[in-house]
Amino acid sequence: MATISTALRNFKEPSKDQLTQAFFSIPTSTTHSATIGASGSSKNGSAEEVDKMEINAVLSLGEQNVEDSYAGKLYIIAPYLAFASLDRKSVRLTIPLSTIRRVERLNARAGVYALSLLTWHGMKIIVQLTSLRPTADLFCSLLRDALKIELQKGQMKAVKGFSRTCFSEHLITEQGPGEVAEGAGAPDVVDKDADGDDVAYHGGLGLKFKFPGDPKKLREASKLKLWTTYLKSHGRNLTLLRYPQCTRLVQVGLPNRLRGEMWETLSGSIYLRYANPGFYDRLLEEHKGRTSTSTEDIEKDLHRSLPEYAGYQSEEGISALRRVLQAYSFKNPELGYCQAMNILAAAILIYMSEEQAFWLLEVLCDRLLPGYYAPSMHGTLLDQRVFEALVQRCLPMIHEHFQSVDVQLSVASLPWFLSLYINSMPMVFAFRIVDCFFCMGPKVLFQVGLAILKINGEKLLEIQDDGGFLNLMRDYFASLGDSANPKSTDPRARAITKFQELLLISFREFSIITDETIQSERKRYRSEIITSIESFSKRSSIRNLKSLGRFAKDQVGLIYDALYKAMCVVPPPPVALPPPSLIKTADGTEGEGRVETRIGAATFKVFLSEVVTWARNDKIVRNGFGSIGGLDVGLGRERVDREVADHEFLDRLFYFWDVECRGALSFQDLVSGLDGVMFNDLMENIEWFFNLHDKNKDGHLTKDEVLTLSETFLFIFRHEVGDAYLGAVSRFMTNAFEYGDALLPRPESKEGAEVPDSPPPIESNQPYLNLATFRMVVLADEILESFFETDLSASFQLHPLPELDLPLPSASTSGFLGDLWSSIATDSNKKMFNMITDELGKTIGKHQVINKPSIGRYTKLEEPKARESLLTPSMRKSVSKSSLKSSDTGITTTTGGMTSPTTTTSGTISSSGLSDLTIPTSSSSTVSRASASGGGGGTSKSLPPVPPSPIAESDKDRQADTMLQAVAKAGATVLERTPFAIDDAQDSSSEEEEDDEDEDEDDDEEDDDEEEDDEEDEDEDDEEEEEEEEINEDDQVLDEVDAFLEAHDSGLTDADKEVAKQLQTAQPLR
Amino acid sequence: MAETASGSQDKSVQVKLVLLGEAAVGKSSVVLRFVSNEFQPNKEPTIGAAFLTQKCRLEDRILRYEIWDTAGQERFHSLAPMYYRNAQAAVVVYDVTKATSLEKAKSWVKELQRQANPNIVIALAGNKVDLVQSSSSSSGASSSPDSEDEADDATATPGETPGSPGEPESLRQVPREEAQAYAQEAGLLFFETSAKTGEGIVEVFTEIAKKIPIEHILAASRNNSGRPGAGGRGNNAREENVNLQDDQAKTKDACNC
Ligand SMILES: Nc1nc2c(ncn2[C@@H]2O[C@H](COP(=O)(O)OP(=O)(O)OP(=O)(O)O)[C@@H](O)[C@H]2O)c(=O)[nH]1
Ligand SMILES: [Mg+2]
Repeated sequence: MATISTALRNFKEPSKDQLTQAFFSIPTSTTHSATIGASGSSKNGSAEEVDKMEINAVLSLGEQNVEDSYAGKLYIIAPYLAFASLDRKSVRLTIPLSTIRRVERLNARAGVYALSLLTWHGMKIIVQLTSLRPTADLFCSLLRDALKIELQKGQMKAVKGFSRTCFSEHLITEQGPGEVAEGAGAPDVVDKDADGDDVAYHGGLGLKFKFPGDPKKLREASKLKLWTTYLKSHGRNLTLLRYPQCTRLVQVGLPNRLRGEMWETLSGSIYLRYANPGFYDRLLEEHKGRTSTSTEDIEKDLHRSLPEYAGYQSEEGISALRRVLQAYSFKNPELGYCQAMNILAAAILIYMSEEQAFWLLEVLCDRLLPGYYAPSMHGTLLDQRVFEALVQRCLPMIHEHFQSVDVQLSVASLPWFLSLYINSMPMVFAFRIVDCFFCMGPKVLFQVGLAILKINGEKLLEIQDDGGFLNLMRDYFASLGDSANPKSTDPRARAITKFQELLLISFREFSIITDETIQSERKRYRSEIITSIESFSKRSSIRNLKSLGRFAKDQVGLIYDALYKAMCVVPPPPVALPPPSLIKTADGTEGEGRVETRIGAATFKVFLSEVVTWARNDKIVRNGFGSIGGLDVGLGRERVDREVADHEFLDRLFYFWDVECRGALSFQDLVSGLDGVMFNDLMENIEWFFNLHDKNKDGHLTKDEVLTLSETFLFIFRHEVGDAYLGAVSRFMTNAFEYGDALLPRPESKEGAEVPDSPPPIESNQPYLNLATFRMVVLADEILESFFETDLSASFQLHPLPELDLPLPSASTSGFLGDLWSSIATDSNKKMFNMITDELGKTIGKHQVINKPSIGRYTKLEEPKARESLLTPSMRKSVSKSSLKSSDTGITTTTGGMTSPTTTTSGTISSSGLSDLTIPTSSSSTVSRASASGGGGGTSKSLPPVPPSPIAESDKDRQADTMLQAVAKAGATVLERTPFAIDDAQDSSSEEEEDDEDEDEDDDEEDDDEEEDDEEDEDEDDEEEEEEEEINEDDQVLDEVDAFLEAHDSGLTDADKEVAKQLQTAQPLR
Repeated sequence: MAETASGSQDKSVQVKLVLLGEAAVGKSSVVLRFVSNEFQPNKEPTIGAAFLTQKCRLEDRILRYEIWDTAGQERFHSLAPMYYRNAQAAVVVYDVTKATSLEKAKSWVKELQRQANPNIVIALAGNKVDLVQSSSSSSGASSSPDSEDEADDATATPGETPGSPGEPESLRQVPREEAQAYAQEAGLLFFETSAKTGEGIVEVFTEIAKKIPIEHILAASRNNSGRPGAGGRGNNAREENVNLQDDQAKTKDACNC
């Protein structure tokens, strides 16, 4: 039960493009093509090379006086158009190109280049391209081409049908949100007997089983009203524009009926659902009846997912949950299913359809919570480490106290992150955090976590142990609905709940935690986490071995290391199932967890090359100079190039150790296999070697097998200096056939001996030589005897890995794994360097390559001692010829580097016409070696792939950065109230708002702020006491919205704003 | 409910106990039964770990159990050391109706014996015996002798499908003798339990209490600035006043393993 994974090693920091795509929630091309590929359709096969371009732009809404104009960057990332304001948070949009219905160049004054875009929803967006003219032209032509492709793909037509599945469309056409029935008596959404082609909108279990929480208390109606207004003027679902008001409305909690759709819109999973229609159903169909470890685990947890929710006490809810979780495990078999995913899935299914939930789960596991649910849970561990570091930085007192009483932060915080707080706090509150999480990204989890600790700071400084910590947290979460200021005389202040306080502190005090912070902290701790995960899995792999054989524990550790290194070099096939659509058989009951890691023959050979001298070609390369310039690091003088050998014998060994006939070896197989040879004495080794070649295990070698066995000898001895071993092998063959023939009961054998060229007395595949005879033949030869006595076992060597010849790049990754890491990281550098020195060596005629012998005991040809050879004269001749050849095997100096010394060992021995023994030692690797040195120049040229990055661009980034900082600094005090349509809802007291603002500017403390706001608002209330309660509710929502006001910088001068304003009324050209 | 006070002033001895075992064998249910004497047929899977406390009287002493109930799924395994570090007792749970769960239990025992506190007292508990007892044979739950909790547990163990009414014994996959023999060999306390009926639950904890070297813990905690039950951990913790300077280079595990 050991799973060894090198997957973590393959992690690559995301490129700038990837970060941009992630920022805009645009499905990565890999996700995209993977899903498309798996679904069997090849819709965007042509879009291999995604068109990308960015340009400076000012974005305005077509409708006047609704939103400010913002400066920012406009991107084409086909098939999407995206925009972000300079501060990256005020305004952003991601719109599939297929929703753009018209693009017009606006007639504007000279020097202004502006486009008007009309979306499917009838919304007009104006973008003024502020880059240089040629750039703008290029951008336009790219946009035109990309739009054309979408048109050709027929995507334009898909929009209509898709938008029918969106609740927002129904919301804005409904008479008014006041008439929306709340929870009870849910409308029959699934309009099955649809007259016409009306498809009902997608919705969750909540429509039938009610949504958690009291709709009145949650002020559903008011929220829906506000959203209706917003969505009418800012686009919706696929075309939603995100202005500051959007974020604020999310922060006060999404209305239940809109929640599911907003989640998918804000997280970007809507784009996946849009791009892969029918995928979910097909996936389930294709995998019908398939079981796996994941499906078993899912089954266990189905009734254990939000069991208190009515929907999960019914078969309907349970089976929806089952399908979604199973579908995801089929889609991503490597991840499969992790506990906590059931809680997430159950939660989101209350608000969204199965298909929506499936894609949201994909986005969660893939992008928002990377590695959280992976078998190693490395993402969870990493983010816990990051969280701890943030606590240390932001709340040093708490951190120090935790250190001093040895309290581990993660005992409480791990479930917060893993279940998005759903498992920790009452659902209604958790869902509001989830709202913000989808809208603002993963940093929210950290911000909320920090705020929780900060709010409980004093009490936390008193806790003494983990248990106290957990109890405190539990009590706090249970009290989130209570007033944050219970003693206040002001009823409005009293009305502020602890939960509201939590969100305020999260987003105000910890706004310093940005996506970039998280990114860079993850980068900082990644290797530390990987190292500890790997050493943990090493320890448990060793512990889980059924038998260590005769090895000591640390020796087994060395075997593990060799295996691990081999797996890094040649990763074994994935443990989990291949992509679903590729398998036809249902033979996939293995998933993660119970599966033992097994390696194939290719990895095995790398492994062997680490532990067995003859399974590698160690070439000692000398270039004849002590040092080059200052580079006297020993590299120039002499080095050992290790190559992995390949020979039929290694495959033979592979299958010999594969005792369960699985076609792959586990760690246990390797340990047992090595145990079977490394502790052997003479007789045991002979028997081991014999068995290895006795394919059918009948206790006899056939003639063919004797020949194979001789080839094995030649393979093992291929690097020995001198011809002693070659001689031994030829004597072995002579004797083996002589004895073998002599022991055959058949009279023909005599004849056969007399006439050398006659056919063999028995078929070459018939039992021929038994163990006793074999032993006799071996013992007849001193060299072979000593080989079996000591050399064979001794050629297996467990050394600490690797033999390092470069210093560690960083001190943070220490120990073996760090070493290995760095050695792999610098491998290509080393190769480069070696190549250059080789070339140099060749130029000066000092390049020299010597094969290191695998055994190196005998160097001279030993004359047969025990008895006379029975070889025929012709055979003897050929043997001596090959001996002659091999005599220059030892030290071959090549100046050209093309004729390699190793080829000379491939001697050919023809024996009684039976067959030709061609020993293909390492000639292939020699060739590659030669070509490598030949192509040195080319390789080195292609190595540095650093793309020239435009300086202007990074400058701008920096500019944006400093601007961001300035904004952040000012943010605490300057709170700009963006004029916005929802002000209408608040009929009275626009003056008082201004008062609010003034006070805001003076105040630093949010809490004070809060209270003052409340006082003002209370006055308001008094004035309009007779107003309808609904208005009052709206106010309350708005109060909350106001609390989240933040500074937003449009990045425009007054003149710029004027231009943007004019464009709103400009006419299209011509 | 569980007692929540963490800094209890009485003279109880604090014992840290951890529950380990395959997913859904009933760890959380065992704890719930012990702590509040109830049974919930559908308990959410534990994420990370849950923490509960319960007192236990033993002769003239009161033990205060700090119980860490861990997540069972294999991939949470690497988190377990975070919870079993410094534990003085462990209950390793398996499900008598599931043979693989005993294998998992064995590997937990192996790990505890090698990695955990060397004096740790380990109990092996074969849970869900109610499913294999003939008393409830006829057709499920109605005849079970316990309180009202059990009234609605027809769906108690979804995986187990107690649908075959005739032969409950056939559900058993781990013979009592086999597990007992293993426990004896490995030096563990052994019980068969049912969180559902309550059978054997209290015994697990009282037997552990008897076997715990209480004097040892007391002595250790006396040396530990008087804080009860701090056995072997946090030796620079101060009762009222934490001197932050005193925070001598703590070698805290980078990761939880
Ligand atoms: N019949 C019966 N069912 C039980 C018993 N104990 C637990 N169960 C059921 O088994 C399922 C799993 O119980 P949990 O206590 O959540 O299991 P767990 O070991 O804590 O699971 P994880 O937290 O996932 O590791 C639940 O549906 C329980 O109702 C028992 O003694 N008898
Ligand atoms: Mg549990």
